[in-house]
Amino acid sequence: MSTSQTSMISVQNLVRDYGPIRALSDVSFLIERGQVVGLLGPNGAGKTTCMKILTGFIAATSGQVLIDGKDIVEHGVEVRKRIGYLPENAPLYQDMRARDYLHFVARLRNIAPEKIKERIEHVAKVIQIESVLNQDIGTLSKGYRQRVGLAQAMIHDPEILILDEPTSGLDPNQIIEIRELIKEVGKDRTVILSTHNLHEVTATCNRILIVHKGRLIADGSPAEIQEQHGGSNTFKISIQGAGESVKDTLMGLEGVTDVVRLENQDQAATDWRLFGAADVDLRADIFNLAVQNGWTLLELHHERQDLETIFQRLTLT
Amino acid sequence: MRNILVIARREFFAYFGSATAYIAIALFLALLGITFFFEVPFLIAKPAFFDARVADLRPLFEWMMFLFAILLPAISMRLLAEERKLGTLELLLTMPVTESEVVLGKLFGAVGFLLVALVLTLGYPLLVSILGHPDVGPLVGGYLGVLLVGTTYLALGLLASSWTSSQVVAFLLAIVISATFTFIDLVPEALGLKAIPAFEVLSFNYHFKSIARGVLDLRDIVFFVSIIIGAVMLTTWSLESRKWKGA
Repeated sequence: MSTSQTSMISVQNLVRDYGPIRALSDVSFLIERGQVVGLLGPNGAGKTTCMKILTGFIAATSGQVLIDGKDIVEHGVEVRKRIGYLPENAPLYQDMRARDYLHFVARLRNIAPEKIKERIEHVAKVIQIESVLNQDIGTLSKGYRQRVGLAQAMIHDPEILILDEPTSGLDPNQIIEIRELIKEVGKDRTVILSTHNLHEVTATCNRILIVHKGRLIADGSPAEIQEQHGGSNTFKISIQGAGESVKDTLMGLEGVTDVVRLENQDQAATDWRLFGAADVDLRADIFNLAVQNGWTLLELHHERQDLETIFQRLTLT
Repeated sequence: MRNILVIARREFFAYFGSATAYIAIALFLALLGITFFFEVPFLIAKPAFFDARVADLRPLFEWMMFLFAILLPAISMRLLAEERKLGTLELLLTMPVTESEVVLGKLFGAVGFLLVALVLTLGYPLLVSILGHPDVGPLVGGYLGVLLVGTTYLALGLLASSWTSSQVVAFLLAIVISATFTFIDLVPEALGLKAIPAFEVLSFNYHFKSIARGVLDLRDIVFFVSIIIGAVMLTTWSLESRKWKGA
């Protein structure tokens, strides 16, 4: 059995065109059971299109999506039973009470009638919407509407949760609460959430897929992405009292691949950039070297790029 | 079938959760009473009930059909257009239900509304039976006829509602389609021409009159049922086509 058939979600060469516009271009990835994956990208990158295809709402122009080995087109109803979905902006029936809406969804999700009340109460407790269960959805705050949306996605205890921009439009407190909820529910199921907010994925996900202009341009844990796309691991130093041989001395440090002198205004000091191997922290070695050679170390800065810089660099072109 | 009934139930109660249903039914009953019992100088050439002094219920059902041609598009317009506009269609269609179950559920919910409206009209035949002795055949045929033609209007309205996210557009489209099919047999007459058989075959009015006379001709029933099935299939196809259009 191939990996794509054993993975919880297997996306292979997905292409989606809207008329002449290509929204997704040859996107492939595998997601294993229990992973919390963030689909990250700027607005219009193709995240929502990808999610709509994963949930069967729209079809791919070409390519294939397998959920636990089953094709989403051929086994649409069967596959959708295993997915809980919260579309962007939590579109719910405004005229229904939260309880009645969850009851309606539970019936469509084929939960046995005698268990529906119990499920609603359980999920309402987990999502913390017990106090608004008897209110019309139209009267709820955006945060509570989002929670009811999350509750309907979880009412049947699905193996896969797909959440499109789950914190969009929420205030900072609500965002923190929803992130905590996602982390909690993601402990025992596969979760894919889309966002254009980097902090969201680093706060909730153990794997990131960065999508840009319909293409998957990065895939891995936050650390892996930093390693793969972070460019050189560099250190900027400013030294006082060093002689001409400083460059050779710095090059002699283990892990240093290159040393470049930087221009500076301060006549008394010289500035250098040291290039190190990807996962080596040279700060302690540089400090010790300065002590051994009697240099005065005015500045030592680890310039390794953070995820935000990497994301900006990858998606600004 | 269970999914169809769950969706139908939600639709049915959604109507009665707002004032729209009550206003529509009240307006319908009032207009029906006025047009049936008093003379209205258009559409139906027969004298009104109190002028004719005959316990004939056929004009009552003919008026029902005409009023339904306007009322029922107002009922069907929201069925899918509103879901599309609010985005709730996305949630509904990503649940383990098929497009045809959604369409049939919506239609049955609206037919539930139609049945409530029809039950509330029973007072009129009851009043007629106190004043005279109407025939039972046209009474049963009349109700069966308006149920069939009403369901047909709703199925066509549902189809129109699947084409747009605007309820107003859905309403206008449904009225145009319903009115065209209802009155198409009267067009040659209005233009001073001879009746055109093809127009009669397509006309709701023509087939309805047959049923309302109390004559249950299978051809008339098949006519309405075929249009209902055709509209349901087209609506299902319209919903499925979103997968490729992405609406």
